[in-house]
Amino acid sequence: MSDSKDSNDSEIRRGDFARKKGEVVLREHEYDGIQEFDQKLPNWWLFTFYGAVVWFVGYWVLYYYTDNYRTDQERIVAKVTEVKERREEALAATLSSLSDQVLIEEWATDPNIVASGEATYSQICIACHGAELDAKMSGVPLPGRPLNDGEWTYGKAPMAIFKMINEGTPPGEPGYNGVPMVAKGGGSLGPKDVAELTAFIIAKNPQDFEGATFDESGALVVE
Amino acid sequence: MNTTTITYDDKTVRQFMIFSIIWGIVGMLVGVIAATQLSWWQMNGKFLEAITFGLFQGDGLQYITFGRLRPLHTNAVIFAFVGNMMFAGVYYSTQRLCKTRTASDLLSKIHMWGWQLIIVAAAITLPAGLTRGKEYAELIWPINIAVALIWVIFAVNFFWTLAKRNEPSLYVALWFYIATIVTVAMLYIVNHLSIPTSLIHSYPVFGGLQDALVQWWYGHNAVAFFLTTPILGIMYYYLPKAANRPVYSYRLSIVHFWSLVFIYIWAGPHHLLNTSLPRWLQMLGMLFSLMLWAPSWGGMLNGLLTLRGAWAKLRTDPVIKFFAAGVTFYGMATFEGPLLSIRAVNQLSHYTDWTIGHVHSGALGWNGFMAAGMFYWLAPRLWKTRLWSTSLANMHFWIGLVGILLYVAAMWTAGVLQGLMLGETNPDGTTLKYEFVETLKAIQVEYILRSFGGLLFLLGFILCAVNIWKTARSGQPHNDTVEVTVPETEKDEMPLGKTIFNDPVAYSLLGCVLLCLWFFLPPHADKAALIALVLLAVKGVHGFKRNGMKWNNWHERLLHNYLPFTILVAVAVIIGGAVQIIPSLLVNRDDNIEGRLQELYTPLELAGRDIYVSEGCYNCHSQMIRTLMPDVLRYGRAGHDDDFSHLGESIYDHPFQWGSKRTGPDLAREGGPLVEGSEHVRSGRRDNKWHWFHFRNPRWANQDSNMPPYPWLFEEKTDIKALPKKIAVQTQLGVPYEAMDKHEIEQAALDQATAISRTLFEGEAPVTYDGMPEATGEELVAEFSQRKIIALIAYMQKLGSYRVVEKDGPPEPTPLDPDSYRSLTGRSLEYRDGKTAASEAEAEPTN
Repeated sequence: MSDSKDSNDSEIRRGDFARKKGEVVLREHEYDGIQEFDQKLPNWWLFTFYGAVVWFVGYWVLYYYTDNYRTDQERIVAKVTEVKERREEALAATLSSLSDQVLIEEWATDPNIVASGEATYSQICIACHGAELDAKMSGVPLPGRPLNDGEWTYGKAPMAIFKMINEGTPPGEPGYNGVPMVAKGGGSLGPKDVAELTAFIIAKNPQDFEGATFDESGALVVE
Repeated sequence: MNTTTITYDDKTVRQFMIFSIIWGIVGMLVGVIAATQLSWWQMNGKFLEAITFGLFQGDGLQYITFGRLRPLHTNAVIFAFVGNMMFAGVYYSTQRLCKTRTASDLLSKIHMWGWQLIIVAAAITLPAGLTRGKEYAELIWPINIAVALIWVIFAVNFFWTLAKRNEPSLYVALWFYIATIVTVAMLYIVNHLSIPTSLIHSYPVFGGLQDALVQWWYGHNAVAFFLTTPILGIMYYYLPKAANRPVYSYRLSIVHFWSLVFIYIWAGPHHLLNTSLPRWLQMLGMLFSLMLWAPSWGGMLNGLLTLRGAWAKLRTDPVIKFFAAGVTFYGMATFEGPLLSIRAVNQLSHYTDWTIGHVHSGALGWNGFMAAGMFYWLAPRLWKTRLWSTSLANMHFWIGLVGILLYVAAMWTAGVLQGLMLGETNPDGTTLKYEFVETLKAIQVEYILRSFGGLLFLLGFILCAVNIWKTARSGQPHNDTVEVTVPETEKDEMPLGKTIFNDPVAYSLLGCVLLCLWFFLPPHADKAALIALVLLAVKGVHGFKRNGMKWNNWHERLLHNYLPFTILVAVAVIIGGAVQIIPSLLVNRDDNIEGRLQELYTPLELAGRDIYVSEGCYNCHSQMIRTLMPDVLRYGRAGHDDDFSHLGESIYDHPFQWGSKRTGPDLAREGGPLVEGSEHVRSGRRDNKWHWFHFRNPRWANQDSNMPPYPWLFEEKTDIKALPKKIAVQTQLGVPYEAMDKHEIEQAALDQATAISRTLFEGEAPVTYDGMPEATGEELVAEFSQRKIIALIAYMQKLGSYRVVEKDGPPEPTPLDPDSYRSLTGRSLEYRDGKTAASEAEAEPTN
């Protein structure tokens, strides 16, 4: 214990409370040779503590006693509703610029569009429909419908394919092997992505869309 | 003056210390292996192949998947490494601070060996997949009982030693030990309340949100009272000893001790921010965490400032190096903690690796370094020799420090990066930019750096083990013998009444009562309670200014009386948990939920859920869509405005599986409705076949997935026979199952399993199984309807299913539910009165 007294400690007085301001007191009692100063609490430390307490009261009062804050549920529903409206606007805008003819003649022939459609395909669709669109992986059947067999259950027209991707299996339909496809629009795919995907699928099935004819509105004429 | 000669029991200390080092190496090694599995899923089979020199071939063993290793790692580090280290530190210092030998050698022996047996039992059961499915509370119920018993034995031995002490007054280290023993007992027992269904399985008595609340009250305070308070006590003993300097401030000790133990216990709900936990609990969790910052830093200040005048030793003494760095990491972690508890920060950080970085700055920096410092200080004294190599200890320090910094920096980067990527939308603002797996791929470099950092820390720790081993070999086991003075001062005779009927206690307790009234009273009455609370605080401060000496003397006397002191500590730690948990138990019940009520699991789905829990899926997958845009956009279903997880959706889940980190995507919307025309088969987000192939080989679905394959689920049989008992226990716990007899339950499970198997093995594109290449579809159906994979698929397809509960009008004000009163202010009142924007427009007078 005495060996702890280096030169600095000569100024230190013993006592059980710091009576005089600014004077560091060493408490009388020792525990297994451990001594204790009785320094005043640092002011910045105290204010951190008091500040947090005041913050507590202030935050609670502001939230519960004023009408300025929405609940988490109100806030998130409002945001989702807003996003939904914007999605619908974007979809309407995309749809108004698209037709079967535009998709086949312009989108499906543009290599950049087809490439970004392919990129999306290999992110999202590949797990069920396979890299070669044959719904197989190394010979193992995948859950999805083959997209290269010339069968278009929900309509061959590109706009019908668009709708199928965007909204999923129509309600009430059993889906492939009894498994309906979930809507792919929203979530991570905007209408433009869906249109690009459609273009990619058209481009992969040239035999089905070669020499297509259209009516005045640009809709595919199915023989 | 009477003197007496005492020989301390240092053998127990040596044993605890040696086991701490051994288990520490095991726990850290398991951590490193688990970490590498996140970078290379092959680090199971390939790892075994490497260490058996090619004898082992295959994808890997079920016993060492990430889902089973992570619980082993956390439990080993917390309870085996830090636990044994704490016991070593406590047994050594308590004897000296009490100037007496530990009360009972027999109890010490039972404690020491009992604890090691528990650890061995944990090391066997956790890899075997026997788990309760709650983090750091995974051990199965028979082991829980053993832990509780051993803890009580520790407590008896400790308090008995206090009673026999030859030092009338309790030193601050002992206050922290007392808080540890009392609080851990309370937390452990409440969070492990379960009803067994068999010798190795049980369901926790709490379900859903309440289980979440109890779990994180426990989980957070396991950090507080198992990893923090005992180590603070150890700091208060060993640091001034090693530095040979007086403790910086006794007053700070008092203030930060009482504020720490009182406030810490309230902070648990900060693990559940932005979830379906009621808002008032989230507020308490966040605000108490912020208030915790200063009390925590009080400990850091008292540690670091004690080193004033001893900083020169930093260059020469490895012990001081470790202590100084350890306390600094404590300060960093306890600053980061409140930061992460802010709801806005937590939006980004929660469910990412930022949290993992945070706990490791505490576990490696604070616990690991304090342990090392203490070992290096103790070893020469326990074996009466000199430390074998100071330079090896210095090397340990630097390797460990670099390891921690790499680890923590990597996890910060990974967490922030992944958090930002998960929330990033495309320029149109309505769709998400990244798939989950892309965010996982983006943090692969950080994952590798993390494994490397962890490996460095482990290597440093092995150097420590070598050093301690060599030190022990160079000396002889030594038990200190000292002559102590038997005190003449009186101790332990303060009557209980004197303890409680005293100004400081009266002010504190009255303050707590007013605090609760402020939280829970109806509008306006609560404001009156707040004003009364403020007035009381002013009066209290005034009283302290006038009678400070009296308060001081009372506390001095309290320190001479260990039982009243312990009782007051117990009161301080009980309040927070009680105020949070009891109202929730009364209010958040299935007859009082908003909008959605969980559909019950069928017997097969329940069996599947138990497999999910047993495989430790919750270690990577959450089941909680928070009330945040990134979560709802990513995991919510199209066509729902409010597709965040509602409180009622998991209310019957024993245990809850909300998770705490997402290395994989959230699964709350994985399930779906029944397929038309079937009573058994559901169609969730993904198809049965998708799940089949995905569990066989997750890379089949996505080549960047790091999930391990689960081939044994295709081989092992579901324990259908256990279901009747399980459902009986669920019913006992309040899950409203219809009465079914044993036969009906087993038949229901079999029927559903058969129906699901048919969707796989029959139809246009049946799946095959390479384990049974010759089998016909009918044979496969018969065989697989017994196997685990089908039960698990049944659960996946059910996950998150609920039915809509219509309620008219806004919620009723409910006692003990502050949020229900809030919803009656302002807008909600207008809503109740039928006053909407439209009706207001109509009310405008028109000409």
